Amino acid sequence: MKNKFNVHPPQRTKFNVLIFIFLLFTVHYSLFTLYGCASQKENVYRKSKILMDTLVTITVVSSSKDSAEKAIDTAFSEIEKLEKLFNFFSPESELSLINKNAGISEVKVSQDTLDILDKTLYVSEKTEGAFDATIGPVITLYDFYKKVKPEDSSIKKKLSLVNYRYLMIDRNKSTAFLKKRGMHIDLGGISKGYAADKAVETLKRNRIHSGLVSVAGDIKAFGLKPDGRPWKIGIRNPRAKGQEDDIMATIELTDTAISTSGDYERSFINDGKRYHHLLNPRTGYPAEGCQSVSIITKECAFTDAFATGIFILGPEKGIKTLEKMGFDGVIVDSQGKVHTTPHIRGKVEFKRSS
Amino acid sequence: MNLKGLLNSTTIADRILLFILILLSLSGIIFIKEVLPKGHIVWIEVNGHPVYLLPIEKDRIVSVNGSEGNTIVEIKNHKVRITESPCDNKLCIQQGWIEKGSIVCLPNRVVVIVGTPEDELNKRVDAITG
Repeated sequence: MKNKFNVHPPQRTKFNVLIFIFLLFTVHYSLFTLYGCASQKENVYRKSKILMDTLVTITVVSSSKDSAEKAIDTAFSEIEKLEKLFNFFSPESELSLINKNAGISEVKVSQDTLDILDKTLYVSEKTEGAFDATIGPVITLYDFYKKVKPEDSSIKKKLSLVNYRYLMIDRNKSTAFLKKRGMHIDLGGISKGYAADKAVETLKRNRIHSGLVSVAGDIKAFGLKPDGRPWKIGIRNPRAKGQEDDIMATIELTDTAISTSGDYERSFINDGKRYHHLLNPRTGYPAEGCQSVSIITKECAFTDAFATGIFILGPEKGIKTLEKMGFDGVIVDSQGKVHTTPHIRGKVEFKRSS
Repeated sequence: MNLKGLLNSTTIADRILLFILILLSLSGIIFIKEVLPKGHIVWIEVNGHPVYLLPIEKDRIVSVNGSEGNTIVEIKNHKVRITESPCDNKLCIQQGWIEKGSIVCLPNRVVVIVGTPEDELNKRVDAITG
């Protein structure tokens, strides 16, 4: 029969067809996987939470919503952990233990507390004591909510307790000790920046390669946005009318931190004079000379603490110190004049409206 | 040979090939849709605050309440212009139709920007310090 005759050839065709189909599928499949890679679009995910008595906002770039949210939540719990260690008002915090044992005994503390105290001492030295975390006894005399200005005599009395040189830390024994009874450390000028650094570390550990952590005005950026651009940060106009987010300048950042200290933050006006929380450790009174100071460098703990320290040093000395440190900065002095470090010109975009 | 004859003469392999070709072209459509840029949008701001975010594809006329009065913005044939403005110099009206870029009416504090949504994202800041 004809069929018998043809047995062999159809089988061969069948085999060829199978190969052909297989090849087609391979090509098609690889096209789809390629497309799949391209379509794994990266999105920006953002979450906010109130921590450390302020609004913390974390933004991450990720291709998956789940992993983005997981990473953000882990970073939030890292900040919560630090909040428990550094809280000035909570009696159980390690900071309170150090304060309670001032002049009595050294206190065993965690690595984070050691690290942050070490950094406060570093900034104190570099700012000639303008930044001083032992300002605690004086700052508690002020009540920025009730707008109470303390008596001159009580400031004078407490001023002898303010000196960072009386804070001793021992890295080998993991202990901290305040030499004088009645001394108090207040980490308010550095803890938010330190928390931002730690939050970024946590995000990176959770395989986030790009993001932005802002603990109030202490901001740390890393990586790039999905469009390949750096993160854009606005610097608030210190004399903004109303509560609006009035920006005087913008700057693009990646793998860098920025912080701003301003006399408008926690402040009140008494007898035509502005009383704000940036106290000069030498006088116990609010520092004069600046309206706002923004610092830019890698570590947010440093931008935070130096913003306070440079504010107290004033514009001229401030710029000199920043140049020595190799940090960038923008200072608005009390006359409204803007001072900048030389390298920052061109990086900051000033708005003409302000 | 008619269509029926043509279909009858196809083998399974032919049909699979046809199916795969259809699949390929479909995936191509999806690919193009995802990769090519999306249409432009018309972004209208008053005093720095966005008040309208409109697709340029749809023709329409909107009235924007500026600091001196109403500015009338017209969108037509993928172009935008200001037709009426309470300002003195009427520079915004003189600028005529635009396809990309912006029209700014300083006296009335109205800004009309034509661009892609990504452009607009870049204009805003990601965080504020201070």
